[in-house]
Amino acid sequence: MTGCDVIGGCPSDYVALSVSILSFVFLFLRSTLPFLIHKVPRPKGSSFWIPAIQIIASFNLLLSLAMSLNVVRFHRRHWWQSCYIWGVWVNGPLGFGLLLSCRIIQATHLYSVFVKRRLFPIRSYISLPLALLPWVAWAALLQIEQPLNNRCHMGTRWAVPYICFPVLYIAALIGITGAIHHIEFRFDELKDLWRGILVTVFSIGVWVVAYVLNETHEEVMWLQVTTRCVLLVVASSLVVAFFSISFSQPLVSVMSLNKKESFELKTMGQALGIPDSGHLSHNDPTLDVDPNEPLDKLLLNKRFRCSFMEFADSCLAGESVHFYNEVEQLERIPVNDPVKRIYMARHIIEKYINTGAPMEVNISHRTRQEILTTLDLSHPDLLKNAANELLQLMNMNLAKDYWSSMFFLKFKEEAAMRSVDHEHEQVNGWNFSPRLSSVHCPDDPFYQDHMPRDPPTLDARGSHLH
Amino acid sequence: MLYTVVQNMGILCSRHKRGNQANTEENAQAAEIERRIEQETKAEKHIQKLLLLGAGESGKSTIFKQIKLLFQTGFDERELQSYTSVIHANVYQTIKILHDGAKELALSEAGSSKYGLSIDNKEIGEKLSEIGGRLDYPRLTEELVQDILKIWRDPAIQETYTRGNELQVPDCANYFMENLQRLSDTNYIPTKEDVLHARVRTTGVVEIQFSPVGENKKSGEVYRLFDVGGQRNERRKWIHLFEGVTAVIFCAAISEYDQTLFEDESRNRIMETKELFEWVLKQKCFEKTSFMLFLNKFDIFEKKVSKVPLNVCEWFKDYQPVSTGKQEVEHAYEFVKKKFEELYYQNVTCDHQDRVFKIYRTTALDQKLVKKTFKLVDETLRRRNLFEAGLL
Repeated sequence: MTGCDVIGGCPSDYVALSVSILSFVFLFLRSTLPFLIHKVPRPKGSSFWIPAIQIIASFNLLLSLAMSLNVVRFHRRHWWQSCYIWGVWVNGPLGFGLLLSCRIIQATHLYSVFVKRRLFPIRSYISLPLALLPWVAWAALLQIEQPLNNRCHMGTRWAVPYICFPVLYIAALIGITGAIHHIEFRFDELKDLWRGILVTVFSIGVWVVAYVLNETHEEVMWLQVTTRCVLLVVASSLVVAFFSISFSQPLVSVMSLNKKESFELKTMGQALGIPDSGHLSHNDPTLDVDPNEPLDKLLLNKRFRCSFMEFADSCLAGESVHFYNEVEQLERIPVNDPVKRIYMARHIIEKYINTGAPMEVNISHRTRQEILTTLDLSHPDLLKNAANELLQLMNMNLAKDYWSSMFFLKFKEEAAMRSVDHEHEQVNGWNFSPRLSSVHCPDDPFYQDHMPRDPPTLDARGSHLH
Repeated sequence: MLYTVVQNMGILCSRHKRGNQANTEENAQAAEIERRIEQETKAEKHIQKLLLLGAGESGKSTIFKQIKLLFQTGFDERELQSYTSVIHANVYQTIKILHDGAKELALSEAGSSKYGLSIDNKEIGEKLSEIGGRLDYPRLTEELVQDILKIWRDPAIQETYTRGNELQVPDCANYFMENLQRLSDTNYIPTKEDVLHARVRTTGVVEIQFSPVGENKKSGEVYRLFDVGGQRNERRKWIHLFEGVTAVIFCAAISEYDQTLFEDESRNRIMETKELFEWVLKQKCFEKTSFMLFLNKFDIFEKKVSKVPLNVCEWFKDYQPVSTGKQEVEHAYEFVKKKFEELYYQNVTCDHQDRVFKIYRTTALDQKLVKKTFKLVDETLRRRNLFEAGLL
């Protein structure tokens, strides 16, 4: 007849368990809600996988603690309930170790991009297992030597080297954070890194104290119960405080969860504070368009660019114009502000250049490789070749059809109307283009809110009255 | 009191009658709208949707242009003239690719002097390469033409051209270089042949609607043909066109077995076409769609087979040449055709039992051949329509 301190199931255990379940649900919501509310498409590649793996690792950590500390009352009959599975494998390489490794990879990416100014050359599916290797080796060692007693305690001889692992990883993380702390990050990356480090150090401290107390006073019932409750609660707060999306999805991290503000979706240009990178305003100059002028001169005018962008989106060729738009924003960042340039360049590369990117553009292999293997992300001519190629493509492909499309007629009408100071009538309805009459797709992949059709405001009329 | 009741009833009745009148008017309007919608949906149903799919540079847009020439009003003078800038751009781009390619080959094969331009041509070469990298190309003047011809005829460039499969030299290179004098004429208006040879990477989607007028000139199916870009980034847009397709015309350039992709120079073009064809065949929405495989660029294939063996391509590595000359060309073509047939039947399940699959040998530049091929396609689709109607 053993008490609940040995086999689990004390009231404090259930309290701790519910705290951990709640914190995991909170973590999950915090990571997925911004995408659901603002209808941001799921990111691809390592910007999706590393945060996803962090959430899985958090879950594993909490689950392993619950199972190995006997928080839940169950009989250890089956092999999959053994201590080694939970206390050694799921806790280490698949839980805490995975969390720390992901964060180290993220910090290394930041270092590579902002200090070395090049994209990290090793793919994540290689670098993450590499970072995890020490933990796996240690877990294998423990599995072979089998030092755990039936209470899942490992004894001092093994616990001391075991503590070295998190300490080493934290030290590495502190080292990398120290190497990048002089960079002026714009999206709270540094703050999140320090927060993660502090929370982890605190958790390790609590773990050490709990462990020491447990080892020295193995018979004291209330100590056992309290320490495991405390451990679970601290681990729950660790996983919540550790999580951050500012490394992989900086724009999503600045989006508020307030649904009313969802119409103010920021572009990277706006988030970085590049002037005049938002929606069209009433003050943008009109243009007397001459079809014989070269396309790159015409595209400098914002209204023309928006009209051309709409036309290109309608025939599913919009990515070139969007790319050109964002490269033009990049060029407006002064050369002596490399951090902003790097942010914008990285954003453009992830959105347009990477293979499989959501709005991948049609450039040659050579141009793409030049950009992806560049040694200086802040170089002013980084994207020049790609922009030239795409401008050629637009010139030879889209320009001709644009002049005979309704989008151009609409643009001329709006320009004429604006110059006569009339009410800004909504010219909507039939957006005809000679390229594509109807593509029945439920959601236009290129739908971007670049020209909000505002109802006539008092300002326009007011200025007329003066 | 009775009087007021009767009066009130009268008012009520008249109101009711007016309500009825309004009702019938509304009904008539609604019926008219319904009729119109029905008419339009019926008309839409009669339009057959054709898709031109295929990897990059497989000839889709050329077939598209041919269809425009054959069944629509063709190209008027203004449209022909609009191709002048495209053709000149092709010339400059070709020379730049060849010149830069020669420089690279000279570097990589440091020992041989095969790829070194002669001293007088080096400067001209650099100048032309710089022009080729600009956004706005200058008009082809007599002087520029002479320069270009000097470079083109330089043995180093000709040697580079023989290794053109390692660079991204467009197929129209030789044709435009031969006709360069005519292209630079001040009153130059591109001929139909020039327009068909002109190379522009398609981006996005283009469509035309046409009716292949038959012998009796009365009945004729209405086709809506969609042309797409073939590079990898363009393929994510294809999915928006996949609903309700009558037939897919898949273009495969069989002459490209020794070339690599524009967007990924580590990948063989035929291997990419193979994978792409498999992917298209497996799409759920194409269960009932007819497949017309156009094995395109036969003219280039003819000339290449005798010089470059088919087995440089992994898919064709079990090819054994049996003879020479024309017989060999036919044998090679049959081999390739059989490979594609095998690929098709490997990817067919029991859902695709009565799906039509036909292979055609085409040269997209040849107008007569395309006309004949399309007539066969039209016939097949018509027969298929009747078959389906008969079942219903």
